[in-house]
Amino acid sequence: MADIDVEGLVKRYGDVAAVDDLSFTVQRGEVFGMLGPNGAGKTTTLEIIEGLRTPDAGSVHVLGTDVLAHPETVKERIGVQLQATALPQFTKVREAVELFAALYRKARPVAEVMEEFNLEEKADAYTDKLSGGQMQRLSIALALVNDPDLVFLDEPTTGLDPQARLNIWTVIEGIRQRRKTVVLTTHYMEEAERLCDRVAVIDRGRIVALDTPPRLIAEHAPGTTIEFALVPGLDPETLRALPGVERVVADGRVSVTTRTPEAVLHALLDPHAPWNTGGDVDRGAGGGGSGGGAGPGGGAIRDLMVRHGTLEDVFLSLTGRSLRE
Amino acid sequence: MSSFRAFRAMAENEVRASVRNRTALIFTLGLAVLFMIIFGLLFGGSGLAVSFDAVNNDGTAASVTYLGALGGVSGVTVHTKSHATAFADLKDDSITAVLVIPKGFGAALAGQGPPQQVAIYQAGGGSSSTAIADAVVANVTAGFAGHGHPTVTLSSPKVAEVNQVTEMDYMLPSMIAYIILFSGVNYVAIGLVEKRVTHVLRRFRATPVSSRTVLAAQVVGGGLTVLLQILVLVLLGTWVFGAKNYGNWLLLVPPIVLGTASFVGIGFLITSVSRTSESARALAAMVTFPLMFLSGLFFPISSLPTVVQTIARILPLAWASDALHQVMNDGAGFSAIATDCLVMTAWAVVTIAVAAWRFRWD
Repeated sequence: MADIDVEGLVKRYGDVAAVDDLSFTVQRGEVFGMLGPNGAGKTTTLEIIEGLRTPDAGSVHVLGTDVLAHPETVKERIGVQLQATALPQFTKVREAVELFAALYRKARPVAEVMEEFNLEEKADAYTDKLSGGQMQRLSIALALVNDPDLVFLDEPTTGLDPQARLNIWTVIEGIRQRRKTVVLTTHYMEEAERLCDRVAVIDRGRIVALDTPPRLIAEHAPGTTIEFALVPGLDPETLRALPGVERVVADGRVSVTTRTPEAVLHALLDPHAPWNTGGDVDRGAGGGGSGGGAGPGGGAIRDLMVRHGTLEDVFLSLTGRSLRE
Repeated sequence: MSSFRAFRAMAENEVRASVRNRTALIFTLGLAVLFMIIFGLLFGGSGLAVSFDAVNNDGTAASVTYLGALGGVSGVTVHTKSHATAFADLKDDSITAVLVIPKGFGAALAGQGPPQQVAIYQAGGGSSSTAIADAVVANVTAGFAGHGHPTVTLSSPKVAEVNQVTEMDYMLPSMIAYIILFSGVNYVAIGLVEKRVTHVLRRFRATPVSSRTVLAAQVVGGGLTVLLQILVLVLLGTWVFGAKNYGNWLLLVPPIVLGTASFVGIGFLITSVSRTSESARALAAMVTFPLMFLSGLFFPISSLPTVVQTIARILPLAWASDALHQVMNDGAGFSAIATDCLVMTAWAVVTIAVAAWRFRWD
């Protein structure tokens, strides 16, 4: 039996369906990601599964129990980290862990939890004096204080600096190693790609795709993307005519998608190509600003980057919009 | 069993957090102490001036002349008052003693009736100025009546059946009521709304703890914080400021507990109608400040206009304040404060029930 079984979930706010007929299952030991932009309905879905909100339609079973009928039973066995980390005021780190440990029938020893999440050093600090990364570690520790089978992490790294984000990723990988089922939401595609076994791409309350990251990319964002700064005098339309080019997007930077990157790169960097030879006039007019990064062979292609498809591209190709706004 | 453990942990955390919240403490306990100091300094020092209220049961020209002679002594003031007013003034500590001139005083002086005795009443717990008062009256009376034939004499000082309540004695129960009011309303109203808008309540709801446990912990935690502050205030008031309690300490428990419960209830009610902590704060201020001035904390309710008095007497703080003053200042027994306690219980039950019914988690 699946750890989570969601069927036909609907939640409306007025005329807007925040969650629009969602169905999915999450298996034991899986790290399941919900990827989508802000307002896609990820948090609402999560909070219904956690027993914090009542859906307008649909059923939710968590660890074999009907959440809507027996929320307390489920809450005893799950761990929850909410998006906005909220703890009572004037409470120290150790006190917060002790407090939450007291709220469950069975809880792990406080000292053990403090050690596992590297919190001893900050044990006597007030929770509102913690850095973003420390606060998030505490918040995840509180979600694990009852030794749950299933852990929900709602945007665990939003607003963190890269160093702290990496630290939290290590923490989440540690949870996975302890064979716990993890459901996390994120709008960072790197995070979903690195951590998740399967990813549900969510847009406007619906699942638009659900699979492992490699398969999502292979299906919805195949090929390689070549990116570079838009060259003055280069009409992106001329690139579409190059052999092997599937898609060209130009907004400040140019992205060319292709399955034959070698041939396209060759054509792009050809010193006899019009955008690489006709630069004299433009360069004279444009001043020194564009001179420094001149491409190989004296061409005008700058800031060149070649990369494989990502979940960002998957989202873009599925919805026509970017993950961030 | 496990839900009691959760309740205890949450209530404990609540009390600990409240004690650490210096800003809130300054606003409640700090201000209460400050009020005591200010009022103590303003009204506490009585100096060596002596003032009498005279009850003139004789009314002859001779008795008026006698009181005039007494008032002529430097540092002495005499006002002729009714019997009831005079003894009320004595109780309020606004005069040193009450003189009662008997009927037939004038006749005795004129040698036309039996000798009379002027009575002098002092409050219990006499101060240094009462001894001076006795000496002054004895002198004047002796001089007035003439040495040869004492037609009029002064009785030995009698202790009137009132406790002389100093400004400090009056302020201590007032400030207990003040703490009940401000902490009761603020710790629950603002505390709970803040927990709601910062999603702390939501976080607790993600645990198996029931909503009743969360609310009970907030209410009990807030209530305990109020009691702790009152304890500190009473210790400071009696040891440092010398305030006296003429009643039974244990009798303070019902008005304090019931008063706290009714203001916790009102605070709770504010939570159910406030969306933001700003609006909760504004609403709490709108409730607490008028109540503070309308409920006999700084001056007796009887000095307010009748219409205002009527309003003041409906509000729970007046009942709390009345009960506390009766016990501490008059040494009243439980029967005297039973009505107060009943009204406060009604307030507590109604407000908490309505608030619990209207409560929203987000």
